[in-house]
Amino acid sequence: MEIPRSSGFQLRHMMCEFGQLSRPDGDVTVFQGDTSVTTAVYGPGEVRMNKEILNKATVETVFKPKSGLPGCAEKMFERTLRNTCETFLLAALHPRSSISIIVQEIQDSGSFLSCCVNSCCLALLDASVAMKFLVAAVTCAIDSEECIILDPTVKQEKDSCAVLTFVFENKDDSILAVYTTGSYTVQQFQQCSQTCGEASKAVFDFYRTSIEKKLSKAT
Amino acid sequence: MPTDSRRLTGPEETKSPYAYVKQKKKLQVLTGKRHDGRSPETLRPIFLKADVVSQARGSAYIEQDNTKVMCAVYGPREVGRKEDFSMKGIINCVFKYATFSCRYRRSYQQDSEEKDMSVQLLDALEPAVCMHKFPKAQVDIYVTVLQNDGSALAAAITCASVALANAGVDMYDLVAGCSVRIADNLVLVDPTESEEYKSQDDNPVNHGSVTLGYMPSLYQVSAITSKGEIEFEVIKKAINLCGNTSQTLYPVLQKCLNNSRFSLSLRFSLSLVRYHFCVQF
Amino acid sequence: MADDFKYGPHEKDVRPDGRELGEFRRTVLNIGCITTAEGSALVKLGNTTIMCGIKAELAAPKPAEPDRGFIVPNVQLTPLCSPHFRPGPPSEQAQVMSQFIAEVIKNSGCVDCQNLCVVPGKLVWVLHCDLMCLDYDGNVYDTAVLALLAAFRNTRLPHVEEKEEVPEVTMDKTCSLIVSSQPVSSTFSIFDDRILFVDPTVEEEGLATGMVTVVTVGNKLCMVHKPGGSPLKSEQLLTCFDRAFDRSKEVLRLIEETILSVER
Repeated sequence: MEIPRSSGFQLRHMMCEFGQLSRPDGDVTVFQGDTSVTTAVYGPGEVRMNKEILNKATVETVFKPKSGLPGCAEKMFERTLRNTCETFLLAALHPRSSISIIVQEIQDSGSFLSCCVNSCCLALLDASVAMKFLVAAVTCAIDSEECIILDPTVKQEKDSCAVLTFVFENKDDSILAVYTTGSYTVQQFQQCSQTCGEASKAVFDFYRTSIEKKLSKAT
Repeated sequence: MPTDSRRLTGPEETKSPYAYVKQKKKLQVLTGKRHDGRSPETLRPIFLKADVVSQARGSAYIEQDNTKVMCAVYGPREVGRKEDFSMKGIINCVFKYATFSCRYRRSYQQDSEEKDMSVQLLDALEPAVCMHKFPKAQVDIYVTVLQNDGSALAAAITCASVALANAGVDMYDLVAGCSVRIADNLVLVDPTESEEYKSQDDNPVNHGSVTLGYMPSLYQVSAITSKGEIEFEVIKKAINLCGNTSQTLYPVLQKCLNNSRFSLSLRFSLSLVRYHFCVQF
Repeated sequence: MADDFKYGPHEKDVRPDGRELGEFRRTVLNIGCITTAEGSALVKLGNTTIMCGIKAELAAPKPAEPDRGFIVPNVQLTPLCSPHFRPGPPSEQAQVMSQFIAEVIKNSGCVDCQNLCVVPGKLVWVLHCDLMCLDYDGNVYDTAVLALLAAFRNTRLPHVEEKEEVPEVTMDKTCSLIVSSQPVSSTFSIFDDRILFVDPTVEEEGLATGMVTVVTVGNKLCMVHKPGGSPLKSEQLLTCFDRAFDRSKEVLRLIEETILSVER
């Protein structure tokens, strides 16, 4: 059941659980409303000979859909995640090694890409891999009345004329990645990026409280 | 049928619009009067250009009216891990029709016809290349037919040999390809798609085709392939005609290479040819 | 180091091939060059060459969408076009490109699938759009989108008539495909985390720290694709959009001119 939200300018309730898996170096399950994703991180570890890079770590991402084989759409998804992670990881600290990130879809109820990016960031935090900065992703949709809906559900995404996902970093709030579907004007793009930028602060706060909670449990 | 997850796929079963065209029952009879107005012995106009792919060591593009073939050569480069050591180099040939090049859509994977063409192309080129010049290494030849309007193999042979020379691969000679269609007493040079011999039609004796790879300055045949049931006297005549026609192509190939960026290295390798002759004879 | 040698020019707003930062390479367009395809186009952007061939086939529609045809785009990075590609199944890069093209078609709505319907519920057109890279010298996205659009503009579908439940195709009688909007793509590279420049060559792509692809349709944006890479301020994105809209005008003019010269 979807918990009703007070307004369209709010993110759905976010929740996360660390340490559900025993094997990986870091893992997290992130819930964003009904959307949920489990991400596991292995590394820095040994790298396959043919993928070895001499001066930095090889970042690998694998995206596992809920069912079926990954197709072209999943590959594009995977590459967006990998490029995003490559940018904020300090890969140069671990030459000739591999950092692999496995993202498993549990449930897609809208804003799926942003949930995946956020779970990657949290899982990498959990694995204590050195990073340049943190990233937070926020999705918004533009509906047929040209209103911006933050963190849309699947139904809202389907009814809207455009869906935009932004990934922000927390150093000087620049845009790290953008992925959009549908068509929209430049003004709408600007409005969306502004709205999402503000909402990204909530995601960074969520990271902070989640990690604090995890560390206080540990001691 | 397993679906290909690495490509975007449409519906599983599709039919070419040609399958729905009402059959005009008209058996085509080949006569000396060809539908493009050529005489039986003339080639279609040829456009040949080297250096068309900036990333390749050597490349060439050939257009024989509507038959359009592109070829790129890479290497000599490291051989695959499974190959054994050899003092002679390896040539790897891949021949592919573009999906949109024929009347009916082609598949993405190489089919048996294309594999067969790859082997025939390799056979035609190998005798012309100084294989001992690149031991333990491999030269890759990729040929793509962008549009097929007959004589694709002959065009591919010519195109690939120019691309090889353009790549600066040492060669004894260039190879010019030529094909003819035999229909009874008639021999048609450089057949178009509609004139080409098709094995699925029931054909009487002396109907077939011959494709020849010919080294014009050595006056030697590098490869020959024929289809259909042909009498010896007729095939002899056809081969002679192919050889003579290929000879007329030679200046075209030379001129094309002279205009390309590797014309210098070509002159060098041609002087090599002379050297090899001295050793041989 | 070779890298330093190449770093130098970009700092002074000039690129190794003498172009300015906002300058595209010379674009050459040829339409309708493959007569075996229902629509075709060859685009050269500098050295980068892509050929798009559209083959139309007939099939039964999906039961859920009885009046919609299919558009199946696929990008082939052939081993012919670069030493980095080997024969075999499509690489990850090719798959991502195919998906990108599919999304551009969907987002821009350039060809309405309902126009591909022949007999509702029974017969629809399937457009196999194969984009074949013949020379890989960077910026294949822009080249591919342009080749696709030009090929769509060139596509003519044969006439189909249904006589007693059996479709009959007349190949000589054709009508043009309706292209309702025209997407144009512009790719920007980010260099050293701060310098933006358009239309990277393969050399520049190797040195770039990030890429943004902007696809415009009319006065709207239909795709802003930035898969990671150096972070950008929104002002920087806005300058990209401005350049993209300018480029779109240039490209559309080129298409119109080419179509006119072909018809003549």
